[in-house]
Amino acid sequence: MILDLHTHSVRSDDGRAKVANYCQWIRKKELPLDGLVLTEHRQFDDESDYRDLEDTYGLLILKASEVETDYGHVLVFGVNEDLVNSFDFTRVDNQIHSVLDAAERCGAFAAPCHPGRKNVGLFAHYDRKSPVEGVHTVEVLNGGSIPGEDDLALAKAAEYGYRGFGGSDSHIVSRIGYCATEFDEDIADIDGLVSALYGGAFSAVSLREESTR
Amino acid sequence: MTEPVPRREPEADPQTEAAPESGSELDSEVAALRERWVGEAFDLSTFDIDGEKMVAWATAAGETDPRFIDPTHDDFQAHPNFTTHCLSGRVLPEDFPQIGGPRGIDGGKAVEIHQPIRAGDRLRASTTIADVYTKTGRSGTMIFIVQRMSFVNQRDEAVATVDWRMIRSP
Repeated sequence: MILDLHTHSVRSDDGRAKVANYCQWIRKKELPLDGLVLTEHRQFDDESDYRDLEDTYGLLILKASEVETDYGHVLVFGVNEDLVNSFDFTRVDNQIHSVLDAAERCGAFAAPCHPGRKNVGLFAHYDRKSPVEGVHTVEVLNGGSIPGEDDLALAKAAEYGYRGFGGSDSHIVSRIGYCATEFDEDIADIDGLVSALYGGAFSAVSLREESTR
Repeated sequence: MTEPVPRREPEADPQTEAAPESGSELDSEVAALRERWVGEAFDLSTFDIDGEKMVAWATAAGETDPRFIDPTHDDFQAHPNFTTHCLSGRVLPEDFPQIGGPRGIDGGKAVEIHQPIRAGDRLRASTTIADVYTKTGRSGTMIFIVQRMSFVNQRDEAVATVDWRMIRSP
C-alpha cells in the first residue's frame, strides 16, 4: 500500500490545492497512490470530513500535522485531543523533545520532515547542536527538495540509523505523489498508520521522473 | 510548558493606523528580508511542453500569428507568456517569515523571453526570491515580494524568466 505522507491543502497558509483536486489528479494521472495524509502547517484540522471524497475516489485520506521545533519541522501522525493539549501547535519554536515525548505519550508518531533542508531541516541543526535523543525515523525523500537535500537526508539517516519514509510535501495539485511511502500491510485508518510507522515495515519511494530529482 | 510565543502579526492595522513612513521599522524589516532571501533558490520544477497546450494557450490569448497557433508552421513555438501558467511547487521558501497579511494580491507577472520554447521541450525552472521592497501609493505602503522562475530547456539553454509580484498590506 502506497501513501503520500506529506501534503498540504488550502487549509495551510501556503497551500494552493483543494483536497478534491488532489483526488482528481491522482486518478487522472493514474498515480500509484492508495491515499494521502494531510499535514497542515502548525495546526490540526479537526473539522474537515473527507469521507465522501474517499468513497468517490477510492482513496484513503488521513489527517496529521506539521509542527515547528527548535530542530526544524516535524510531522505528527495520530493527533488526538491529548496531544493537541500537550503543546501549542501554532508555535514556531516548540522544543523538539517536548513534541517527541508528547507524541509518544499520547500514542502518536512524530518524525522530522525534510531533514536535509537548510534552516528547517533536522540535520542542518545537527551541524550546530547535538543530535536529538528519541528521533528514530525521518522523511528521507521529500518532493519539495532541491537537488542535494534528499541525498543529505539519506546519508545522514543511514549514519544515525534512522528509518526513512517519503512524502511529496505538495502545496499545489500537480506535486502530489512525487514521493511517498510503501507499506507492507494495508492501512485503513490513522491508528493503523501509526501502528505501521512504529512497526517499521515501510520504505520511502520516489515517483518522480529522474530529471526532476 | 513555557509561555507560548505568538506568531508575528502585522506591525500596523491599516484600518486604524497610518501606514509606516519611509525609513520605518517596516523598511528595516524589508531590508533585512532582502539581504537574507534575495537569490535563495527554493524550488525546482519540471514541465513537459505539449504542442496542443501551446495552441490552446495562444488561442485563448487571442493570438492569430501562425507561429503560435499552427503546429505545422516552420517556426511553431510557445506564446511569449506561455510560461506564466507554470507554477512552482511553493510560493515562498518554507521558512520565509510572515510579513504583512497571510494572503497577498497578485501583482502581475513579467516575462523575459530568451529563446523560443518548442513542442516536446522539457523545461526545468529554478525558483528564487528576486526582490522584496515597499512602495507607497494612494492605498498607502504595500510590500512587494518578487518570485522569479528561471526556465532552461533540455539543453540547459535559458528560454524564459518570469517574475511574479506578490503584494501584501503591512
